[in-house]
Amino acid sequence: MNEYDEKWEEQINALLDGDLSARDAERLKAEATDDRELARAIVEAYQLQRAMDQVHVERAPRSLAKRLNAIPREHRSRPSFSLLQPRWAMALAAIPLMVIAVSLMRPDTPSASEIAQARQELAIAFAYLDKAAVITGREIESTVGSTMANAVTGSVNKVIQSENLTSKEKEV
Amino acid sequence: MKRLFMNKFVIGLMCTLLALPVMAQEDELKDLPGYVDFGDLSLTYGEPKITINLGGTMLNFVGMMSSSDSPETSEMISKLKGIRVQIYSIEENADAAMSQFGDTKSQLKSSGWEPIVQVNEDDEQVLVYMKAKDGNMEGMTVMVVDQEEAVFVNVIGQLNPAELAQVMDKFDVNVDLDVD
Repeated sequence: MNEYDEKWEEQINALLDGDLSARDAERLKAEATDDRELARAIVEAYQLQRAMDQVHVERAPRSLAKRLNAIPREHRSRPSFSLLQPRWAMALAAIPLMVIAVSLMRPDTPSASEIAQARQELAIAFAYLDKAAVITGREIESTVGSTMANAVTGSVNKVIQSENLTSKEKEV
Repeated sequence: MKRLFMNKFVIGLMCTLLALPVMAQEDELKDLPGYVDFGDLSLTYGEPKITINLGGTMLNFVGMMSSSDSPETSEMISKLKGIRVQIYSIEENADAAMSQFGDTKSQLKSSGWEPIVQVNEDDEQVLVYMKAKDGNMEGMTVMVVDQEEAVFVNVIGQLNPAELAQVMDKFDVNVDLDVD
């Protein structure tokens, strides 16, 4: 089918559908008068349309229609497991809630092993504080001599202790 | 649209609930005036070789357990509200630790901490700061950086260093630290 045929086919279809303007219809008619092939095509298309209109539409049995309608539902892809589905997300959200609830219901008393662990950690912390005290004491001693070092470290301890004494006095 | 909102809402709720216990533990000490933020050196040195975070509740229990055999230890612990220790192995790469040392020093100065002792040696830096308010000691911070490790200790509450050596013997825990 060349461009010429395509053009007339569109015009014929538009004519049969009643969409062709009066001007184009006149032009098509004039062309068909000179072109026997075009005239025959118009007549054949018209006859085909009449024949199609006369075809009786048979309704499908109800059971068949039901089965046909069910096909898309049966072939629909099943929803995959996804944590983003509201029911799963809600279920997962409930887990930390339960953990918090259980932890809140637990007594605040730590176990003996936890206290022993804490005691050991406290000993380590104190040991490092003691290490810092030894280093600073040694540095002071090497700088100003042992007599002065004792005086300096003693005065430092007094400064720190005085804060505690002041607070004790306030409590009294 | 409604379902999308529901998903976002539920995921947000889950994240908040999971983070709650951790935040609560941190906040227990962070809110205290003697608390010091030492930053994080784990990017440079990896995870700390020792991390200690003892809150007031746990210290009370340790103090109670010590009351029968060492009343003085129990008395000393009862004045503590928290104690935190971070120790990193630095393996002769002290640059990041010294930088953190300086940052923490500035932070302490600007928030009312007083320097008590400072040792500036080429291979060893020691800094002891104390914070007091209205005659009450609120905290003590000790930082030690030498060729092997960086030590950050934050005592929250009251502690007299002179009593420390006396109570060390009461802890039947073998802690042998090299101070050479």
